[in-house]
Amino acid sequence: MSNLHAQPLLDVGALQQCALIDLTALPRIGFRGTHSADYLRVRGFELPEAPNRAVLQADGSQVARLSQTEYLLLGGLADQGQRIADEEVSWELDHNANYLLPRQDSHAWLQLSGACISEVMAKLCGVDLRPEAFPVGAVAQTSAARINVIVINLGPIDLPRFQLLCDRASLAYFKAAVLDAMSEFNGALLEPEALRH
Amino acid sequence: MSLPNRLPAPMGLLIDRNQPLTFSFDGTAYQGLQGDSIASALLANGRFLLSRSFKYHRPRGPLSMAGQDANSLIQLPHEPNVLADCQLLTQGLEASGQNFNGSLENDKDAYLGKFSKFMPVGFYYRSFYKPKGIWKFWEPIIRKKAGLGVLDLDFKPEYYDKAYLFADLAVIGAGPAGLQAALTAADAGAKVLLVEQQSILGGSLNYARFDIDNRRANTLRNQLIEAVQAHANIHILTQATCNGWFADNYLPVIQGKRLYKVRASQCLICSGSFDQPVIFRNNDLPGVMLTSAAQRLMKLYAVKPGKRAVVLTGNDDGYLAALDLYEQGVDVVALVDLRSGPSNRDLLVALEKRSIRCHLATTVYEALHDKGMRHITGVELRSITGQGQVAGHGVTLACDLLCMSGGYMPVYQLLCQAGGKLAYNDAAAEFTLSGLPNNLGVAGSANGRHTLDNVLADATNAAATALTALALPCPTQQSFKAEARVNFPWPIFPHPKGKDFVDFDEDLQVNDIINATRIGYRDIQLVKRYSTVGMGPSQGRHSALPTARLVAASTQRSVSETGITTARPPFEAEKLAHVAGRAFDPFRQTPMHAQHLAAGAKMMPAGIWQRPAYYGKASERERCMQQEALHVRTKVGLIDVSTLGGLDVRGPDAGELLNRLYTFAFLKQPVGRSRYALMTNEQGVVIDDGVCARFAEQHFYVTATTSGVDRIYQQMLKWNAQWRLNVDIANVTAALSAVNLAGPDARKVLQTLCTDIDLSSAGFPYLGVRQGTVAGIKARVLRVGFVGELGYEIHVPSRHGATLWQALMNAGKAYDIRPFGVEAQRLLRLEKGHVIISQDTDGMTHPDEIDMGWAINRSKPFFVGRRSLDILQAQPAKRKLVGFTLPTGSPKPLEGHLVLNGPDISGNVTSCEHSQTLGQIIGLAYAAPEQSTPGQQIPIRVDGGLVVQATVVQLPFFDPDNQRQEL
Repeated sequence: MSNLHAQPLLDVGALQQCALIDLTALPRIGFRGTHSADYLRVRGFELPEAPNRAVLQADGSQVARLSQTEYLLLGGLADQGQRIADEEVSWELDHNANYLLPRQDSHAWLQLSGACISEVMAKLCGVDLRPEAFPVGAVAQTSAARINVIVINLGPIDLPRFQLLCDRASLAYFKAAVLDAMSEFNGALLEPEALRH
Repeated sequence: MSLPNRLPAPMGLLIDRNQPLTFSFDGTAYQGLQGDSIASALLANGRFLLSRSFKYHRPRGPLSMAGQDANSLIQLPHEPNVLADCQLLTQGLEASGQNFNGSLENDKDAYLGKFSKFMPVGFYYRSFYKPKGIWKFWEPIIRKKAGLGVLDLDFKPEYYDKAYLFADLAVIGAGPAGLQAALTAADAGAKVLLVEQQSILGGSLNYARFDIDNRRANTLRNQLIEAVQAHANIHILTQATCNGWFADNYLPVIQGKRLYKVRASQCLICSGSFDQPVIFRNNDLPGVMLTSAAQRLMKLYAVKPGKRAVVLTGNDDGYLAALDLYEQGVDVVALVDLRSGPSNRDLLVALEKRSIRCHLATTVYEALHDKGMRHITGVELRSITGQGQVAGHGVTLACDLLCMSGGYMPVYQLLCQAGGKLAYNDAAAEFTLSGLPNNLGVAGSANGRHTLDNVLADATNAAATALTALALPCPTQQSFKAEARVNFPWPIFPHPKGKDFVDFDEDLQVNDIINATRIGYRDIQLVKRYSTVGMGPSQGRHSALPTARLVAASTQRSVSETGITTARPPFEAEKLAHVAGRAFDPFRQTPMHAQHLAAGAKMMPAGIWQRPAYYGKASERERCMQQEALHVRTKVGLIDVSTLGGLDVRGPDAGELLNRLYTFAFLKQPVGRSRYALMTNEQGVVIDDGVCARFAEQHFYVTATTSGVDRIYQQMLKWNAQWRLNVDIANVTAALSAVNLAGPDARKVLQTLCTDIDLSSAGFPYLGVRQGTVAGIKARVLRVGFVGELGYEIHVPSRHGATLWQALMNAGKAYDIRPFGVEAQRLLRLEKGHVIISQDTDGMTHPDEIDMGWAINRSKPFFVGRRSLDILQAQPAKRKLVGFTLPTGSPKPLEGHLVLNGPDISGNVTSCEHSQTLGQIIGLAYAAPEQSTPGQQIPIRVDGGLVVQATVVQLPFFDPDNQRQEL
């Protein structure tokens, strides 16, 4: 299984400058409950050790820990998020405290990349997202452009990028706000294909 | 290009001599250079008169050349009150003067100055209100005279925005102290933000002279700037103004059209100090300027400020400025020292060598002028005989430039906003600061250090303090050398004829301040409010110190006891556009948004959601809405209800949680059934309603109102944080997309797309809930009756919302399906007498008032609001929501129209529409209990004061047996 981290990029120049990619179509889910950690470990996921931390999985999917008992799983490009989609299908409500959260339907997913991403976000959000304050592996659950947004930094360092998750119904609004903030950095909206071979 | 007043290089740090620009001022064409300010370009052309003063319309020229005074306020085509000494010149710029009657050169209102004795401070408070009613006469005249400049009401809004900036250390001011402090901190590893108001770094190093040979400043400037600009840890913002200090170093910094919201762990103010004027008669006329202004003109803009100069000073810096003027070809007629001599005798020798005569213990008593006062022509010097006193006779010198400096005032505004306390040091005749927060420091001349060595040492020490707080390595503390006094203790020389200005902005003279104290305003804050001293554009930069001195002397107190007025943000004028920034107005759209637009929907806001109000032209709203409603009654309609709140409540205690939160009972609710859910708050007030569907033993799906769901979600989390029930609460509003398929043919349409649910009346009865597939999509299906017809709410994952909508529209074609909007839905539910929480209820409504007593379970021990409801129910009812009708053609009441009960108001209309189905106007309104019996008439006051008599009827208006929705 290929690794998103190591994938050659088709449009490295644009990605490195300032790019926004709408990954809303990729699978993602959440789990919450006191049994969620055990459930996910059994299913082969490496989990962050603390809340507001994220870990890149070997297959390119990503796991962010949003609280003591809540996890957000983002699908990888290599399998088009199939592993995560399978997790959604296979989950069943039982007597364990492990509740599936429909994050693909509740949250839109944007990837902001480029050297200036912390400056772009500084136009929208009051949290210090500079690399020294918000390193690779960090998660911020904050407000950007006046709506709730989850910001995940899973690097890599040589191509800074933030995964932004916001209310799905607010996608049109938030995407426009981010693109507006990107304009002074000559930012561009790219298709997800820019991330593939 | 050659202009008579333009000096050769290396003068003119800011200008580009190869880029000439043409512009006009008051209709006259001029030439300037790229890098010029409007004021410097005008002065290069020999034009000194820039403005007229606020009250007496006296001619005014540049005072500070640093944007710190009101003398340079001019009008641009789209903007009044622009500082000509700050505004960068651009090609083709058209500027003009402001606040004159006639022309700037010949202001007809200049005669007002001759009547200044009759217009003392506060005269208008006392003059224009007697006899009664006379204010109506004076008001338009005064209003016409008041205010500066002209607003362009056709101005098009421009793009302004905001951004956060983060730093370990923010250094405000990039003069020698700021540069040194930034370097020291950055070398130690701190991330430094350096904020400079001017377009270049260097501060006083760019224009001031620090030694007779004039070597130190330039060398030091080059060294510091080169090091700072090359440093990776220093982020430089030039032409940026830190306009305030707020708790924890939250600093608004304005640069261009952006407001930076700076968050700094540590902050160091290196803002320098303001050159202070000397007060004498006519100290405000063109040709009189601060010494630093003349130096700025020469060094920054290569503008020769005059031909024959007199330098009036209270410190050694005036001697150095005289050398500057001399070297640039200005005939320095005299140096006038308020003191008995310079602290450094070499300065005296240096001037004598150049045949510049020095007058010691002398002051300028009056500036002389030509007819019309457009420029000074000379000065009268008098020997100083005591504090503010001069000899009876003096000498007159001809000159066209008078440079004055009575000393320095620290730029204390940000520091005082942070809680710093100013204390007056009588020995140094200047203010010192103390009591700053731990995360804020001060260095340089703002901290009373004026020699370069001391400034650099002070900056290093201040940076070290900040570094210690940041847990970074810091340099050792440096010591200071003794300094000469820079402030003359009493640079105020009142003249019997006045025009000895303390505050140039407000035309306040020495006697104005003294008279204010004599009237009884002893407190400096009261003097300010009475006289308006310090309330003009320069905010006391040049008037605070002399005012403090005058009030102190007049009230027999020390300057420290007198104090100065409060410094509040902003530091300088800022535009509302900066405060507003880029507007963020979030909106939400359902997955079917594009399909609604394609179908011609007229969208309306519902909270922050965008929803179809109806489908059709805005001009045909009533027809569209009525047709859509009729279609639902007769055939089948489809409405997007994705905005409806949705909450998944799961876990062993899910039923218990709902049982405590809602008024009904839910513990024994069967799986596969829904139940109406009404929520009250602790005061017993109805705050939301919805449907609670039980899909599994441990899984409830609760709907909530569009606008209320976030609040209900919060309530659930809040209460469960106390109750600690074993339950998970998830807000799935955006995650689930939903439609309501309603109408007599709804079942037939759904049957074509849903095969795994028994849709028969018996298999899936009213209030039943099922999970299955619709159009191949996993769906939650609820039988509901909000619009009073056979109806199915179909909830699917949002990613499939658009597909579901299209599938139902396609399947419904055979049954003439059409979409309907919120307005039709509101009419349909009104016909059924269903209330909408927050439209038909308010912040006081309790269940009995809206006939919801049936939704309260009295057998369970507790629910939120239970105790309050018990109390309320024991009280006599005060109002009741009733249904009313009016014949078609009657004036239609609107929401909010009042219901009357004799002379009293007994309630208001909450909903009202014309019902085509019922052929009459129907509505809901609060009325007195005694007005609520069906058949009674209630008077409703409609538009125009007309009162209509509506008939109270039993609810619902339509299908009272609910036969249609229970099909």
